[in-house]
Amino acid sequence: MARSTLWVSLLVLALAAGSAAGPAGVVKLGAVIPLTGRFASGGAQVRTGYEMAVEDLNARGGVRVGGQSLRVELTILDDESDPTKTVSRMEALAQQDIAAYLGGFGSDLHAAAAAVAEKNRIPYCGVAFALWGIHQRGYKYLFSPFPKSPELAIETYRMLNGYLPPDQRPRRVAIFAERTDWGREMANLWSIRSTEFGYQVVFQGEYTVGTRDMSDLVLRAKAAGAELVLAVPTPPDGITLVRQMKELDFNPKAYVLIRAPDAPAWGQSLGKDGDYTLLMPGWHHAVKFPGASELSAKHQQRFGRPADVLVGPSYACVQVVADAIQRAGSLDRERIREAMASTNLRATVVGPVRFRPDGTSPVTTVVVQWQAGRQELVWPRQFATRPLAYPATPWRSR
Amino acid sequence: MNPSVAAAAAVALAAALPWVAGDAAVNWGLLVLLQVTVAQSWNLLGGYGGQVNLGHAAFFGIGALVTRGLWVQGTPVVGALVAGSAAAAVAGLVVGLPSLRLRGPYFAIGTLAMAEILRIVVGTTLPEVSALPSDLITGYRLVPRYYLALALAVLSTAVVWRVSCSRFGMGLVAIREDEWVAETVGVDTYRHKLAALLLSAALAGAAGGAFGYYHLSFYPQFVFSPVWTFDAVLMVFLGGIGTVWGPPVGATFFVLLREALALRLTELHVLVFGAVFVVVVLTLPGGLVDVARVLRAMRVRRPQPA
Repeated sequence: MARSTLWVSLLVLALAAGSAAGPAGVVKLGAVIPLTGRFASGGAQVRTGYEMAVEDLNARGGVRVGGQSLRVELTILDDESDPTKTVSRMEALAQQDIAAYLGGFGSDLHAAAAAVAEKNRIPYCGVAFALWGIHQRGYKYLFSPFPKSPELAIETYRMLNGYLPPDQRPRRVAIFAERTDWGREMANLWSIRSTEFGYQVVFQGEYTVGTRDMSDLVLRAKAAGAELVLAVPTPPDGITLVRQMKELDFNPKAYVLIRAPDAPAWGQSLGKDGDYTLLMPGWHHAVKFPGASELSAKHQQRFGRPADVLVGPSYACVQVVADAIQRAGSLDRERIREAMASTNLRATVVGPVRFRPDGTSPVTTVVVQWQAGRQELVWPRQFATRPLAYPATPWRSR
Repeated sequence: MNPSVAAAAAVALAAALPWVAGDAAVNWGLLVLLQVTVAQSWNLLGGYGGQVNLGHAAFFGIGALVTRGLWVQGTPVVGALVAGSAAAAVAGLVVGLPSLRLRGPYFAIGTLAMAEILRIVVGTTLPEVSALPSDLITGYRLVPRYYLALALAVLSTAVVWRVSCSRFGMGLVAIREDEWVAETVGVDTYRHKLAALLLSAALAGAAGGAFGYYHLSFYPQFVFSPVWTFDAVLMVFLGGIGTVWGPPVGATFFVLLREALALRLTELHVLVFGAVFVVVVLTLPGGLVDVARVLRAMRVRRPQPA
């Protein structure tokens, strides 16, 4: 009875004692990533990016610290898409003498993880979240070479104006805001930025994640004569939205759906109805930055498809951390943090990286479009694999 | 060893943990202690009273939100915790008053429905992440949170122990075994069930409050997740339902095995954990606290060498 309680308490102590420091001569990095649960597919891309980056780094002799070449050792733990487990596993990593954390996937897990990094005073480099709010809390250990909501909002309009002459622009905007912090943040920024680029928000409505019925929003946007639809749906919500726009014969000239169309499953489940969807996934394998095409070729060889959209940013995270460790010249976490804050890297797979005081980075924001069942890069124009397809063909004529 | 001596030793060991171990182990210890309270509170009503509560997460969540809200606004944490616990008890009253009058599965259905309704309402009305501001993070210390969780685990176990050897506890057990008979012999079944539910909800709310005080950042909806109900049920069954020591043993085994596997097996750990879990439940239907009895029975059955 109570004896077993005693026995297991001893086990806790044994476990605690077991997590001692590893061998010298390596740089340890730790990542807690959702590999199972609701975020598993995104987490898998992030993991691939980290692993390929560490392989390449070690193949080139690792990281130079104080005149010595150190191998990089990456420990990856799964958090089951559960923020409590993210926290407990990040605490476990902190005991293993890691030099820096690499982030996972999904805003809520990042929000929990960034706070743990801040508490433990360990630099944290994360991608795959655009939520700007996390960066506005005064955290000093959080770094993210990934486009954030303000850039996404501006580049949406900049891309449209860059391609379209003034008389053809879809000036009447409908925003379908998801009832989450990121959904509200994006809706607000899209709305604020609309006027300076010559657009007008004619309809804005909120919906709850996981909703089955968007017909009310769609009909009201249609009645308001919207020509451009902006939203940040999850994959199931995005598919619901497109199907109901088709059923209700609402034909906007363009629609930007951030997040839902990132995965290859978009084209598979929607077929021709998936085409014309614009997305802003944070990266695309066709960008002409040093190392991007090699990375994509390697990915093609290993997985039979070009590098997925999150593989590049995750790869860049490792590049950023390795560079900071090299410049810090030590494995002291405080010095690595300072070095990361003063990052000025020209050659990463996401382009030049520098950090603002809030940990965000002015990285290149890409716009991708589904065309004939493929994700084509349309913006920035100098990297475009295809020009913007506009206006979208009405559903009935596809 | 005498059970009370062993219990005292376990508490002493748990109290010593922050002095000998780092943050990771203290964090594991904290999760174990938190789950001890949640499991123990479910055990009180489910294990002794036989009332299956499938909405335990609602009490946990209410406690967490109320406590965190008050604490972040400057209320001392103990006061906030008491308020959170009281709020959870009130919710218990609201759901218990109608549903405990009925027999059969209505209580289980009612609690499940309440928890899901609350989860959706909270997700819709409070969609933004609840993160501690950076000044609170700078002053954040794990150790006081750990001792709070320890105090609650000891309290909840003491409450269950006290109930188990009281007239009230016997009444609950009588209800669990046969509610009609219990009523016939003079047990006021409705009052017994309602009192047990209030106690259970208050303890779960206190555990939620400790979580709200402990966790750096979470979405309000998360504390209403069914995980908090079903993990508690699993731990109670794993350790031994309707026993005083089952939930602590079950919670310790559950949390530590899960974390130990997660550290070693990356994404396979969920599979292995599930398999180990099934094996334990199949071989020890009375729970882990039954292991000594089962071993003794095996020893007796084995033929003696001549």
